[in-house]
Amino acid sequence: MSADLVRPLNPRRITVLAVNTFTQLVRMKVFYFLAVFAAVLIAANFLDLPVHAAPESAGVEVLYSIKSSCTGTMTLFSLVMAIVATALLIPRDVEDRTLYTILAKPVPRLDYLLGKLLGVVALIFVSLLVMDLLMTAVLALRTNAVVEQQLHAAEHFGYTAEMKAALEAETRQLGPTWNLQAAVLAIFLRAVVMACVAMLLSTFSTSTLFTAVVGFLVLFVGFFQADAREFYFSGSGTLGRIGALLLSLFLPDLQSFNVIDAIIEGKLIEAGQLGMVAGVTAFYFLVYTFASWLIFAKKEI
Amino acid sequence: MAAAVEITDLVKVFPAQFGGKPLRAVDRVSITIQPGEVYGLIGPNGSGKSTTMKALLGLVAPTAGRCSIFGADSLAVDSRRQVGFLPENPYFYKHLSGAETLRFYGKLCGLRGSGLARRVDELLELVDLQGARDRRLGGYSKGMLQRIGLAQALVQEPRLVILDEPTAGVDPIGSRQIRDLVLELKGRGITVFLCSHLLEQVQEVCDRVGIIFRGRMVREGRLEEMLAIEDQTEIVLSNASPELIERIRALVTGSGEGRFVHTGKPRTTLERLFLQETTDRQEP
Amino acid sequence: MKTATRRLIAAVGLLAAAGAARMPVEQAMTERFREDGLLREPVDVATQKKLGQGFFAVSLGGLRTLVATIWNLRAFGYFEGKQWVKLADTYETIVLLAPHSDYYWDTGSWHMAYNASVDYRNREHLPELRREAEWRQWVERGTAFLEEGARQNPDSWRLWAALGRLYVDPFKLIDYEKAAEAYHRSAETGNALPYVRRAEALCRARIPGREDEALPLVRELNDGPRGKVPTLNCVRFVLELRADPGIDRDRLAAEVFGTPERAWRELGDFYLGSKDYPMNGVRTMLRRLERELQIPDEQSVLRNP
Repeated sequence: MSADLVRPLNPRRITVLAVNTFTQLVRMKVFYFLAVFAAVLIAANFLDLPVHAAPESAGVEVLYSIKSSCTGTMTLFSLVMAIVATALLIPRDVEDRTLYTILAKPVPRLDYLLGKLLGVVALIFVSLLVMDLLMTAVLALRTNAVVEQQLHAAEHFGYTAEMKAALEAETRQLGPTWNLQAAVLAIFLRAVVMACVAMLLSTFSTSTLFTAVVGFLVLFVGFFQADAREFYFSGSGTLGRIGALLLSLFLPDLQSFNVIDAIIEGKLIEAGQLGMVAGVTAFYFLVYTFASWLIFAKKEI
Repeated sequence: MAAAVEITDLVKVFPAQFGGKPLRAVDRVSITIQPGEVYGLIGPNGSGKSTTMKALLGLVAPTAGRCSIFGADSLAVDSRRQVGFLPENPYFYKHLSGAETLRFYGKLCGLRGSGLARRVDELLELVDLQGARDRRLGGYSKGMLQRIGLAQALVQEPRLVILDEPTAGVDPIGSRQIRDLVLELKGRGITVFLCSHLLEQVQEVCDRVGIIFRGRMVREGRLEEMLAIEDQTEIVLSNASPELIERIRALVTGSGEGRFVHTGKPRTTLERLFLQETTDRQEP
Repeated sequence: MKTATRRLIAAVGLLAAAGAARMPVEQAMTERFREDGLLREPVDVATQKKLGQGFFAVSLGGLRTLVATIWNLRAFGYFEGKQWVKLADTYETIVLLAPHSDYYWDTGSWHMAYNASVDYRNREHLPELRREAEWRQWVERGTAFLEEGARQNPDSWRLWAALGRLYVDPFKLIDYEKAAEAYHRSAETGNALPYVRRAEALCRARIPGREDEALPLVRELNDGPRGKVPTLNCVRFVLELRADPGIDRDRLAAEVFGTPERAWRELGDFYLGSKDYPMNGVRTMLRRLERELQIPDEQSVLRNP
């Protein structure tokens, strides 16, 4: 029997809890959702829209539709999973009495919270990874097909090698690029923030439903948070400003993650900027987790 | 050597629910359990048994008083190294199998590798669940859940085991198995703190008993002392003829000491009869 | 005070403090991202009403491009049903959601300026004046739409080039000056295909009263790689003549066209095609060439009105 004190933030202990949470969620057959994603992907791939552009530039619209429908589905799935999966974890443990058995072991409450949260995060990560791989594969194939079609037409119209190279480069910019991966990463980071919010809510709420509903509320209002903040900084009217201040202080600003839209349209994001978004996410993670611990540590169960 | 369990003047008040009064669930309860003892806390539903146990495990914080396990304060995580807990009506993680469940709890306690694997095998053997080790807990019967629960409580070889209603809802056969396990633990020197409202079973395993009612400890002491009807003696005869019994009756009446109270067939218990007719049945 | 309440207050305090700390940081980040084009100004009130509440909430959710895609499908339906007004409205909404996707600006203006306008032109049950008015209105609307698109995407060579094409289209409202400007902007992006500069030059050569301004560019392109295309050759010829009427025409023709046969063919096509180019000295040259090459009268280019 080791004599050293039981300290919180033990990586092994947290990993055991995280793996357990991950397995629990997987065995709830969450991954069936991926079948829906695959269906969406296939539909997007076969979309045929009117083309009037010159044949040598035709075909790009399907790339838009693949990217936007895939990232849209990823967004929906990751957010729903982040909120709902996190919301059910603690109430379920209480219902099944497993919370008592775990906390009756030498497991600090912080480790328990982190284990649960990281389990959900791992699930979202794996799901997004699979969806990303599928999207990238289909997009790559389609881009190649479009490029081939375009080059063929370009050949017919007598383009020089230089012109063909320029045309190909332009089209490939619309296909799978590292930039697009940055968009997927932003989707993941936003889901992490929402999972943290849901965890915080579930530490003082006993009902999965309540946590999930409020979680979605936070999600919607979080999109307006930036507007509230701007209103606070520049608007007028005391009451309005107080309301805006409250919203800005407690709710996460989810609009920062809207860089996803710009990236899909082809805007390039630099590593530094992506780093800022990641940094903000890490900040939310730390703050919300610590706040969750403050409430949960002395909670009577 | 520190007492296994030391509960001193424990008070637990739950705040008022909407428009009600605060609930004084536990009112100055003190319990001391020595290492190796089997202690039974009995009382009707809502008398404060579970709350007392939870305070001991640090799951709720006492309003007043102190609880400790082998000298370590219950509110510190360290105190849980030495204790295993089986809560009332546990369901555990239904998506895990029996063996996976034990491995999970073992890892939480710091066990790993071959040591963990060995321990899991040992425990499954102890609670007689090897046959179901790979079946998901969702498919376990109530009795099996209780047994795996007991196994999980023992995974890190604790010196104290706390059992909350260990046989509630379990059939007589399962019940007996659990009872036998408790006696086995006692044989190994493990301290057992159990609470139940099934009095028969408490009677069979416990050394000391505390009766708790409406949050207060009303009676406590060694079982034989408490149960012995002080002024009566029991003599059990086999193959005694009616004449012999008459002679004994005359002897007692004539002695002027004591009173011949009752003669008749001692009753077996229904449980013993049931077991006799089912699992203990010797085939001819 | 109970521990639980105390800790709840502590948690609230932590969140408030963290919120206060990150507010200025996030504000700065948002502004910086807006400058860099990574984030947009919020969707305005007018769009809100068009999109409907449901889509509005979603469109803030980083799903704008998806909504745009779905609305594009709707637009296709309107196209098939020839519901031009709804179609145009839809595209105007789509580009609010996805302003940096060339495809939507391009397709939208195509529908308006080409498809809608022609459809109205062909509606026989409408009076002539009305048809004309509708045609004009739709061309203008499509042009304005594309101009807005190019303005919002100044680095898109395609949109500028499409705009140039629109202004130069003989079946639309021709404006060579604006076309030249558009082609110029397209070439300026640095990504344009070579034909764009040629198109610019050819447009400049047709701006009434300012044809001669095109000469430097025409010279540069004509002397450059693959510059000896027929129209450019002819325009070069004409502009050189205008610049210096006393120039040696035969030598000029030899420099520009190479052989008299080629000169006759290209200038002949040029003369017949017209297309608003200046024609100084073309007839004279053609007559000389036909005499030199002994072209029989029946095959003479000058014969055809």
